[in-house]
Amino acid sequence: MTDIQQTVYVVEDDEAVRDSLELLLKSDGKPVKTYESATAFLKDYSDKMAGCIVLDIRMPGMDGMELQKKLNEQHSILPIIFVTGHGDVPMAVDAMKEGAVDFIQKPYREEALLEKIEAALEQDLEQRKSLDEKQEIIRRIKSLTPREHEIMDRMIAGQANKVIAIELEISQRTVEIHRSRVMHKMGTHSLAHLVRMVLSVKDLIDAK
Amino acid sequence: MTEVVSENSEVTVLLVDDNPQNLKVLYETLKDKGYRLLIANEGDKALDLAHRHQPEVILLDIMMPDMDGYEVCERLKADPETADCAVVFLSALDDLQAKVRGFSLGGADYISKPFQSQEVIARVKTHARVIRLERELQARNRELQGDQTRILNSISEGIYGLDENGVIEFANPAAAAILGSPVDAIIGCNFFEIHFAAVGEDTGGLPVHGTCRQGVAESQRNIRMLRTDGSGFPAEYRSTPKLDDDELHGAVVVFRDITAELESEAALEEARELVQEQRDQLAHASRLTTMGEMAAGFAHEVNQPLTAITNYARVSKRMMGKETPDLGLIGETLDKIEAQSHRASEIIRRIRRFMKKPATGKEIISMPALLEDTRQFAEVDMRNNEGGIEVAVPEGLPDVLADPIQVQQVALNLIRNALEATRSSGSATPVEVSASLVGSHCVRVQVRDYGVGLSADAEDKLFLPFYTTKDEGMGIGLATCRSLIQAQGGDIGFERPQDGGACFFFTLPVAGAEGAPCRPDNPPDTRED
Repeated sequence: MTDIQQTVYVVEDDEAVRDSLELLLKSDGKPVKTYESATAFLKDYSDKMAGCIVLDIRMPGMDGMELQKKLNEQHSILPIIFVTGHGDVPMAVDAMKEGAVDFIQKPYREEALLEKIEAALEQDLEQRKSLDEKQEIIRRIKSLTPREHEIMDRMIAGQANKVIAIELEISQRTVEIHRSRVMHKMGTHSLAHLVRMVLSVKDLIDAK
Repeated sequence: MTEVVSENSEVTVLLVDDNPQNLKVLYETLKDKGYRLLIANEGDKALDLAHRHQPEVILLDIMMPDMDGYEVCERLKADPETADCAVVFLSALDDLQAKVRGFSLGGADYISKPFQSQEVIARVKTHARVIRLERELQARNRELQGDQTRILNSISEGIYGLDENGVIEFANPAAAAILGSPVDAIIGCNFFEIHFAAVGEDTGGLPVHGTCRQGVAESQRNIRMLRTDGSGFPAEYRSTPKLDDDELHGAVVVFRDITAELESEAALEEARELVQEQRDQLAHASRLTTMGEMAAGFAHEVNQPLTAITNYARVSKRMMGKETPDLGLIGETLDKIEAQSHRASEIIRRIRRFMKKPATGKEIISMPALLEDTRQFAEVDMRNNEGGIEVAVPEGLPDVLADPIQVQQVALNLIRNALEATRSSGSATPVEVSASLVGSHCVRVQVRDYGVGLSADAEDKLFLPFYTTKDEGMGIGLATCRSLIQAQGGDIGFERPQDGGACFFFTLPVAGAEGAPCRPDNPPDTRED
């Protein structure tokens, strides 16, 4: 579990709002990085980023909603807090459906914003931790030989050793040897745990 | 000789004689002269041929058995089909009595036997020509008569011929149809009695009276005339005096029932009012939309400095809470608060100026100030389209008289379109807004962009309601703009610039130059009569 520096990424087109928010967050002791447009942020974005995004929903050019979509396409897990103006509630609802963490309406109370940022950073940490775990599972799956991988898939599907042996036209003894290697490489003794592990990273593997 | 042929062509000559020898001689005499020759050796046959072929000339022997020439002539004259034939008697009876009798029966000429061929030829030729001319003349007369009758019958307007007392001497079918009586029944009736229920001589002051009595032409619209059944109808009439050698003989009246016309006029008027009403509604709706959009824009705009102020204030408090406050930094932050506060009040001032008056009255407007305001309104659009606006107004431009909100609405609409067109084309050239004086009493405002431009067919329809070139356009904008600008006494239009893009303009009357509207010579669809 690597401890990455969490940063609050502020994407806001209004210079005064951007500047004041930067000062405010810095005075609260948080690392801040500001961007004047969604495009600028997208250029800078990498999956190494940790923390959260404070994103103005209404911006010229690419707006907040569009940036959210583009980040989703890149499987970003950075939590987004949308900052909305008057009358942007329907947009905010859409944003939430798209997976935003939260939204806050301008002009906002500083405490409320800081609370939401705290929660987002916490969520980011959790996600990252589970992601690290998942990355570890994936690393282990990748260490399997093609034959072991095939046998693991059949184990997860609930096939008995005998059936696997018949279908793959190998001896049952060979299946047992492969099976113990799979369990060893995957770092588990229980089939149930193995199934949970593999299922937990299913979406990540499918996405690749 | 061809001339003779052509002159005699179509001329039929009937030769009637009981003596075959005579017939032969006559036939030989006339056969090469281009006539169509018919021959009969007795009265009955002659009548039959004459009835069937209507010859122009008949050479008729008097002395014949059974039916003599006189009787044949009488019968020919009695039959309308043959009455106009020229009967030339042939007789050895060269006496005055015989000739007189022949002429009295309608004979045209007389040739004595034995006849000279030259004489026969000459006489036949003469009579043939006369008869032909007569027949042509009659045909023309019939044709003219027919035309006249047809015209009088087919005219949908009623026509009366009246004598000086208003008695109807002539009526066409349309008059009868309007009145509701057959033509025969109308003739002889008094015009004033049947159409105006006038009693006896008491017709003074009624329509057409002046024409009948004093010979003064009249015409009136929407008078009430009566039908035979006593019902009335609205009518339009013209009456002209009937003069004969400067003597007044009554009047000719042309009149028609205008019930349907009045109805369609009323319907048209109603439609016009409805269109005006809808135009007003559309303008109002459009204004509300603009207001709504602006309000949303304002709220967004005002929120920005307020948010910044709140944040800066927080930061300042935190800085002050430190053990050794950095006064310089706190000062800087307070300066920022002040700047944002000014920014907010500037926005609010603009809103108030915009909302100050309901959009009803015209007032004297300074164009540079109005355009600058409009430019600031368009800042949201500018940001959204990543475009720019340049305003250029010459020094000393006179003020205009118009409703500032409506003018601002139009200018904003044109600027928005220009910004969108610029963005669509990927151009970065700013939109040019300029104003200039045209003539002595018109200010022209122009919005020029270097965007995607317009297709030729769009140009004609631009200002029509519901026409749009945008994917999500309503097609209300420019139509409303036109209504608004025309209501100010100005006009709006489009010009295709040489070097691409689009150029919209509108004109407004200079304050104090009323009565000289800035409208084209023939403004479209704004007839007011």
